[in-house]
Amino acid sequence: MSDFSRIAKLAKRLAIERMFSMRMYIMLPILVLFIPGMAWGFSDPDIVLPGGHQPENAMEVLFYASLGVVFGATVCAVLLSYDSVSRERASGVLELRLSQPMPRSHQALSIALGAWKAILIPTWVLLLLSLVIVRYRMGEWISAVDFIVYFVSTALILLWYVLFTLMASSFTREQATSISFGIGMWFLFTFLWALVTTMVAFASGVAIGQENDASWIMLEGALDLLSPNGVYHHLLESRLPQIDRGIASWQSWGMALVWTVVPFWVFIRRMNRVIP
Amino acid sequence: MLRMEYAGYRHSIYSPRLLQPWHTRPGPGVFSAELSLYEGTILGLVGPNGAGKTTLLRLLAGILPLQKGKICAGEEQEPISSQELRMKVGHMPEQVRWQGKKSVQQALLELGEMRHADQNHIEQLLKLVGLQSRMSSPLNELSQGMRQRLTLAAALLGSPRILLLDEPLNGLDPVASEAFVLLLRKLTQKGVSIVISSHRVDGLVGLIDRLALMHQGQILAEGTMDDVARDLGLKNKTEMRGKGQMPEFTKYSFKKEDVELRADNGSWHAVINKPQPELLIELLNDGHSLTEWKIRQPNVIEMLCAATGLSIEDVGLEVTSSATIPLRKFGGEEE
Repeated sequence: MSDFSRIAKLAKRLAIERMFSMRMYIMLPILVLFIPGMAWGFSDPDIVLPGGHQPENAMEVLFYASLGVVFGATVCAVLLSYDSVSRERASGVLELRLSQPMPRSHQALSIALGAWKAILIPTWVLLLLSLVIVRYRMGEWISAVDFIVYFVSTALILLWYVLFTLMASSFTREQATSISFGIGMWFLFTFLWALVTTMVAFASGVAIGQENDASWIMLEGALDLLSPNGVYHHLLESRLPQIDRGIASWQSWGMALVWTVVPFWVFIRRMNRVIP
Repeated sequence: MLRMEYAGYRHSIYSPRLLQPWHTRPGPGVFSAELSLYEGTILGLVGPNGAGKTTLLRLLAGILPLQKGKICAGEEQEPISSQELRMKVGHMPEQVRWQGKKSVQQALLELGEMRHADQNHIEQLLKLVGLQSRMSSPLNELSQGMRQRLTLAAALLGSPRILLLDEPLNGLDPVASEAFVLLLRKLTQKGVSIVISSHRVDGLVGLIDRLALMHQGQILAEGTMDDVARDLGLKNKTEMRGKGQMPEFTKYSFKKEDVELRADNGSWHAVINKPQPELLIELLNDGHSLTEWKIRQPNVIEMLCAATGLSIEDVGLEVTSSATIPLRKFGGEEE
């Protein structure tokens, strides 16, 4: 059996264990309400968004519905993965794992892939359901490229949150610390990032919150590259020509790469050094 | 089979400073440990709490990296890689708290993925440790003893040639302990080398072939029980019990310090620090009533006390200091 298939098999076991865990059963209704629920709401033909705006096409509806991913699926990613390492460390199972001949980096990869798949699969299923809802309500499918970008971007944002939480889980000895870090980080990027943006704008002398002010839009767009949620929206916006925040598509994908590679590297490095 | 030469590892202890809150300093660990494991033998690793037994086992299991020294396989001079080491070694950590809804079999299959162990092998292992009837039971439903057995099964995954057991008798009832000992004997007959770390020395006597005494991160003495006793200058002892009046041992030309006496409810117990077979006849001729008489080897606790130079109370109660520990090597020079 090759190393890759061993990693994949182990990841599958870990994913199944988490996907059918009690916490997933608790979170599933939340995901259903947030993801297909938002798609249903935003695809209403009579919907009027703030500023009198109405979504023009199916991709734009799904862009707005991606708030369900940002608010619901990411926190579920945190809650599913916060104890992936810390619980095993506390129970002594980690010591047994680390005494196996499988390299630690491979073990780290399988833990990350397992936790990621556990949230990714249900989220993707619900996204597919959202596509069907939008088709039903608007009579329109999104293009194949939009489909790929939408699903890959969603997969990436979930991976980032999983990796941040796993890092915390591998550094902390208490699961409470790990979950506090995960939720704190989710809170920062989901709710407090606007405050960070405002403070930077104030310090830079940019007029705050002026929707028609190009410098504010540019600054907000640039700072969003430093937040996983912001990068996620940049990736989706790359398929919406009507939105321009001064960030090129390659910049968004470049930052997506950075947000993927750096936490992966830190997590694997940490797992290579972790003491049970 | 496996040689550990001058192995050293010190744990990092957080020692925050004003400008360096992340600052660490070296703490307790293992110092210049030399140990050889032989095929088909059981080595008892004995020491008080905090002696460094678990750290030493983790070094042997390839879980902790060596900071000094090396571990070599067989007669080779080149150190073995940690992955090769983990391939050879099965490790049973102390007190694994298996929990969750997954079954016993699933838990082992998950670990088995890392060692290329198939389902058939896992079923055999579960049978070997007496958990075949619990194969489908959720981990949450296992008793402490069953968890210990499951941990042993996990350590036996991949049929390792070296088995490291950290406090394996904890939580086992007497019958399970006996079965466990029999299982270990079977494994040694197959050539498996076993290291058992324990602070319950009474459970080790009669089981181990070799002994390593640890204290404050150092291996103070290592060898067969006879070798260790001889190296420590300990002789066999004469132990006796009797009823009625306690003999006046000074009359038999013993010094007071050579004899330990205890008396209660009309019976008495005496231990003489040397073998005295002729004393039996003398005591009987003088009309003393003896109920038990034996010449025995020094026990492990006596060896540990002799090796550390501490009393039983001191060995038992001492908490390892994280300060610099002077190295003392038995039979050699101080470092």
